[in-house]
Amino acid sequence: MEQEIAKLGISEEELFSRVDHSALDSEKITAPRYSYWQSVFRVFFRKKLNIVILAILLFVIAFAYIYPSITEYERFANLLDSTAKHLSPAKAIKQMGFNIHWILGSGAAGQSTFDAIWNGSRISISLAFICAAINMTIGVIIGSVWGFSKKVDMVMNEVYNILTNIPYLVFIAVMVMLFSASFWTMVLALTATGWVGIAYFIRTQVVIIRDREYNLASKCLGTSTFKIAMKNILPFMTSVIVTLLATEIPSYISYEVFLAYIGMGLSEMSLGRLIFEAESAMVTPGWQFEFWSPVAIASIITVVLYVVGQNLGDASDPRTHM
Amino acid sequence: MGKYLIKRLLHGAVSIVIVVAIVMIMIYGMLNRDLIFAKDTTYTHQSNNQKTTYMYSKWEEYGYVDYVPYADYLQELLQKGEIDEETRSSAVSLGRKADADSEIVQEYVQKFTDYYESQGYTVTRLEAVTRAGRRIADGGQPQLFAYRDIPLLGRLWRYFTGLITIDKTSYVKEDIGERGISFTLYDPAYGGKKFSPAILGNGTKHKYLLYCDSNFPFIHQNIATLNLGTSYSVNTGIDVFTTMTRTQGSYVRSTITYPSGLTEESADDLHSATYLANSLGSSVVYADRFVDDYTNVDTVKNGFSKVGYSFVIGLISVIISYLLGVPLGILMARKKDKLVDKLGTIYIVFIIAVPSLAYIFLFKAIGGELGLPTTFDMESTSKLMFVLPIVSLALPSIADLMKWMRRYMIDQMNSDYVKFARSGGYSESEIFTKHIMKNAVIPIVHGIPSSVLFALTGAIITERVYVVPGAGNLLTEAINKYDNGVIIGVTLFYAVLTVVSIVLGDVLMAMVDPRISFSTKDR
Repeated sequence: MEQEIAKLGISEEELFSRVDHSALDSEKITAPRYSYWQSVFRVFFRKKLNIVILAILLFVIAFAYIYPSITEYERFANLLDSTAKHLSPAKAIKQMGFNIHWILGSGAAGQSTFDAIWNGSRISISLAFICAAINMTIGVIIGSVWGFSKKVDMVMNEVYNILTNIPYLVFIAVMVMLFSASFWTMVLALTATGWVGIAYFIRTQVVIIRDREYNLASKCLGTSTFKIAMKNILPFMTSVIVTLLATEIPSYISYEVFLAYIGMGLSEMSLGRLIFEAESAMVTPGWQFEFWSPVAIASIITVVLYVVGQNLGDASDPRTHM
Repeated sequence: MGKYLIKRLLHGAVSIVIVVAIVMIMIYGMLNRDLIFAKDTTYTHQSNNQKTTYMYSKWEEYGYVDYVPYADYLQELLQKGEIDEETRSSAVSLGRKADADSEIVQEYVQKFTDYYESQGYTVTRLEAVTRAGRRIADGGQPQLFAYRDIPLLGRLWRYFTGLITIDKTSYVKEDIGERGISFTLYDPAYGGKKFSPAILGNGTKHKYLLYCDSNFPFIHQNIATLNLGTSYSVNTGIDVFTTMTRTQGSYVRSTITYPSGLTEESADDLHSATYLANSLGSSVVYADRFVDDYTNVDTVKNGFSKVGYSFVIGLISVIISYLLGVPLGILMARKKDKLVDKLGTIYIVFIIAVPSLAYIFLFKAIGGELGLPTTFDMESTSKLMFVLPIVSLALPSIADLMKWMRRYMIDQMNSDYVKFARSGGYSESEIFTKHIMKNAVIPIVHGIPSSVLFALTGAIITERVYVVPGAGNLLTEAINKYDNGVIIGVTLFYAVLTVVSIVLGDVLMAMVDPRISFSTKDR
């Protein structure tokens, strides 16, 4: 034993020294201070890729809201000018002079594709955010009640079976015919049954952790169900909810594009409607730009939203905070 | 197990009825009925009272209301033998105004009103619209009719009781000679010489109740027919089920011996003959070929049906996606955080995040560059036209399977039994194939019946983009054309598929995983 200590080259006093009991020191918590959200962002920003993608996302959203409000966009301004229609970017810049409006060429009515895309993006992004906000709020609230109460579970399982079996297209068609295809009708149509899927997902998650030992222990100690829900289960769910949000928001943009393509979309010139109206341009040589630019922008927006959301979801899982 | 499954199926049946009821309330109760006239040119050309009665008769055809014009009521009385032709013809001519009716008209109008009002109908009388003189304006004849909105329960009852019709020898109302069913070993449709058993009916709707031919499943029946709902505008007068399953394309001619003995090159399918009243005498074409009024025949065509095309494309893509998606997901899990995993993740993110429309068009553009046919052509014999739709359907489901397979594998990799197996000295590949994979595929197996069955419904965007004549667009088409019968029929079809596929998924899962059991006894 002594030989081994001698090998390390440290005196015995250094290795073992007596520490007296101090009432003050024992009150201190030696672990580093832990703040949940701070850790979330620390983990999130640790990856350089996340910073880049978040920057792109913020830029795209800011651009979609600011650009259309500071520029005038009149779709039919060039309607009578037959030379202004279906121009490729090079031709448009040559004809109209170099200007940010014409860097993506012009469309069927001689309108600027670039302006049309950003006006459309604003509508689509707004729709996605509003629908996601409504559906997530309703879905999370109902889902947690659904997961908690066994009586509610029985009723809601039936409701779920029924609501998910109604073809959503019928639902949307009825809404559109009742209230015309305006922005808020679409919000109503997408949220009327959209929360069910989210609620079901949350319910499953709640059921999984509801009967964990620590919750049973809480219950035995007399904690109220509400407090268990808020303090024990909700923090556990944060990363699940953020991850879900990451798939939900882009999915509404994709869904809006899909609806527009089958002729049930908005009457406003959203991204989906732009793609729908430019579909014929895709097969016409020289006009492809009209079709691919809104498709590309829609894809960029959805991919960026998705990646940011997923990584934020990963970061909000406390297990990654080590 | 059996008891449990029956319970589940019954539960599903109740849900299906409720779903159909909700859709009925939505489309019959909440939609604006006038919309069906938006594109109807006949409607715009009509005026005055005639326009009103036209509206009601259309609403009856679309299934909104029960509608009985006064003349039909009298006709019915005549057929029942309650009145004779003379009374009918004098009772049918309404006066310009209610008080201008003759006595006999008044009597029958009263009867008509009493009879239908007692049944909950609303009886409406429209007085003649006259122009400046005493002349009746265009379409301004006086009208009397009764109508009522079909109540929901009545509609549901009518729908579900009429879902399956069993052919009866009393189907034909006219005199048809001796009714009955006969059995023959030598099917007359093949000239009566070839051995081929068949059951023929007389007085039934279908002439052939049971017959054999060379097409799968070789024995066919016409005894029970499924009526999902009659189409009005998508495929006028044809049932949704028939619309979905009838073959398409161009005629296939073959030598056919008609019942009269005439032999001819024709595409007629004699086995599909149904009764059409008084048709034999109505046309020389029929008189030459047939010996009775079973003259309404389908034709043989070379293509698949709508469901057929959707199913062929869907099924192949399902097979491809399981064959590729599951191994790729396993590979990603094994090489976690390596290059393969990262590439796979990029692909999955691309498919999930990018709007499906965008990547389908991308595949179309790429496929077009490679020289693959980008539009579907039923006349073409080339199998290449199937490639792009199948690829477009398979790529997203591959991504989905990869995502879940990887997830389940990684979840299993962290479990205690894996650590135990590793400490026991198993090799990594043994652990993967013998332990992790077996547990990870269980939830994947659950989805197989659903993906196979839902291949029947077709894919909306893929079929539109590649112009595939499949079943995917039936619902959108029906909604755009306000074809309520088709909407209900398709809803029922989807709902049944959902219920069946979930139950089948559970059964399959229980077969794969012996730990899962549905009967309470085994627990």
